[in-house]
Amino acid sequence: MSSPSAQNPVREPKISLSGEKVTPYLFILPSALFLGAILGFPILYSVVISFQKYNLETLISKNAQFVGFQNYIAVLSNPTFAMALTHSLIFTFFSILFQFTIGLGLAILLSKPFPLSNVMRGVLLSGWQIPSVVTGTIFLWLFNLDYGLVNFLLTSARIVNQPIAWFFQSNTALAAVIIANIWLGIPFNVILLSAGIVGLPEDVYEAATVDGANGWQKFVYITVPLLRSTVGAVLMLGFIYTLRVFDIIWVMTKGGPGTATEVLPTLAYRLSFINFNFGESAAISVFMLVILLGAGVLYLKFTLSEEKL
Amino acid sequence: MSRQRIETYARLTLCIIACVIYLMPLFWMVSTSLKPVDQIFQKPPVLFPSSPQVESYKSVLGLPSKEPALYINTFVYFKNSLLIASWTTLLALVLAIPAAYALSRFKFRGQTTFLLFLLVAQMLPSVLLVIPLFVLFRIFGLYSTYFSVILADTALALPFAIIILRTSFLQIPDALEEAGWIDGGSRLQVLWYIILPLVRAGLVAVGVFSFLTAWGEFVFALSFLPKPEMQPVSLGIFQFIGMYKSNFDTMMAFSTLVAIPAVVALMFLQREFVSGLTTGSVK
Repeated sequence: MSSPSAQNPVREPKISLSGEKVTPYLFILPSALFLGAILGFPILYSVVISFQKYNLETLISKNAQFVGFQNYIAVLSNPTFAMALTHSLIFTFFSILFQFTIGLGLAILLSKPFPLSNVMRGVLLSGWQIPSVVTGTIFLWLFNLDYGLVNFLLTSARIVNQPIAWFFQSNTALAAVIIANIWLGIPFNVILLSAGIVGLPEDVYEAATVDGANGWQKFVYITVPLLRSTVGAVLMLGFIYTLRVFDIIWVMTKGGPGTATEVLPTLAYRLSFINFNFGESAAISVFMLVILLGAGVLYLKFTLSEEKL
Repeated sequence: MSRQRIETYARLTLCIIACVIYLMPLFWMVSTSLKPVDQIFQKPPVLFPSSPQVESYKSVLGLPSKEPALYINTFVYFKNSLLIASWTTLLALVLAIPAAYALSRFKFRGQTTFLLFLLVAQMLPSVLLVIPLFVLFRIFGLYSTYFSVILADTALALPFAIIILRTSFLQIPDALEEAGWIDGGSRLQVLWYIILPLVRAGLVAVGVFSFLTAWGEFVFALSFLPKPEMQPVSLGIFQFIGMYKSNFDTMMAFSTLVAIPAVVALMFLQREFVSGLTTGSVK
């Protein structure tokens, strides 16, 4: 490579030195303004709404009344909130438990090359970008009472005697949306965990093999400890991305039957766009925001600690 | 040696099983969409339709079809999604290019803060944004316009777009840019004529990613676009399953057509998407 810069010092473009200091800010300004206006400000504004009496009349008169913590008190004393929170925790826990375990298993399988391993990696990621509305629709059909594939498989394998009415009972409805969401989240887990495994130092494994460690021992004593920060980051991100799931539940059950699959996002949405109680809805949003920011801070701690390694 | 071969075969077998199970929902979608009606309700279910039909696809695309005509014009949803997703892509690229360039080429105060802000912004759920944005769009008269959804979708796509593009820019050696300056180019000229052509792959990945974000977006469209003639495909499917609970072949044909861009994009851009996700999140 020729390097003319070694002989003649590079002349910066025709901008004065003080101008050059401003340049980076000019370049990020459009994005910063845009994100500030469409992301940052609305989030802060929802905090404001959460302290206001904001309903359909307010929406038209644009004259909201400050009510202090009234929305928060109303939300917290409403048993629906406690239930939605419980469903959210169940939904998140089981989604992540299976997404992560399956994702880790697949990432380990794919960690060494074998015939067609690249093709299969592609196959296992194929659903990653499919709109969640489509995923919800497919699973609605898979869990269909009379003609669904799932009930056919379960009855022919004699796991159940009667086809399950998935969307007519509380527990099975929640299970169905969780299963759909697990399918949706597998590619994400495979990608991130694969990246973590690829980054593991090869020589440590070689040394362990020389010392006579078997595959399981290598997994428990090398892979697990070395992957700790990746695992932490993936679990935190998984938590953040699962707690907020709305589309797939709204498409499959709309939070029903009754309130069987009502989670915090669907409750917040219902309060705003069906009951037009924006104040209480915003209070739930702020509650979720605090949890998510907490998880976000933990996640950043994990990723930053990995960078130090 | 043979131990290693056993291991390879074990991996291969397990992976094939995993792939078959994983692909079942997508296979079932396509298979159902091609079935004549009597085979959809057959027991035991037919895996491969014996005489595949494409009437369901014609019906979704508004072409003359043997299926009973739909009450909703599904073709319009595709047109709307194409419009919303294209504008989102354009807007995201126009905003992301300068920001990613600045983050990769300069050292300035607030740089780390801005990157952290992007990482956090990327995590913000749309369901938290939709409530204040709805109120704000009502106030500013943007409710029930394409523009409202385009703005909101761009805000979802932009943080990730900047993060991916920054990584692409970082791979271009400074020397190339300096050579351009020596030849008398201004910073913007060098960016446009030298740097951008070199990060084409990154630009394509970011563009496609932004397009797909808007293509499948649901909650903003559900809340900001009340008029059916303005709604995108995600809402089209949602309306469809509400109106036609048992028209499964057309429902799955509609779903297949909406899923195709996402699956095709992933086939061609898998590497770019994967490295984007890993640099944006674990590294």
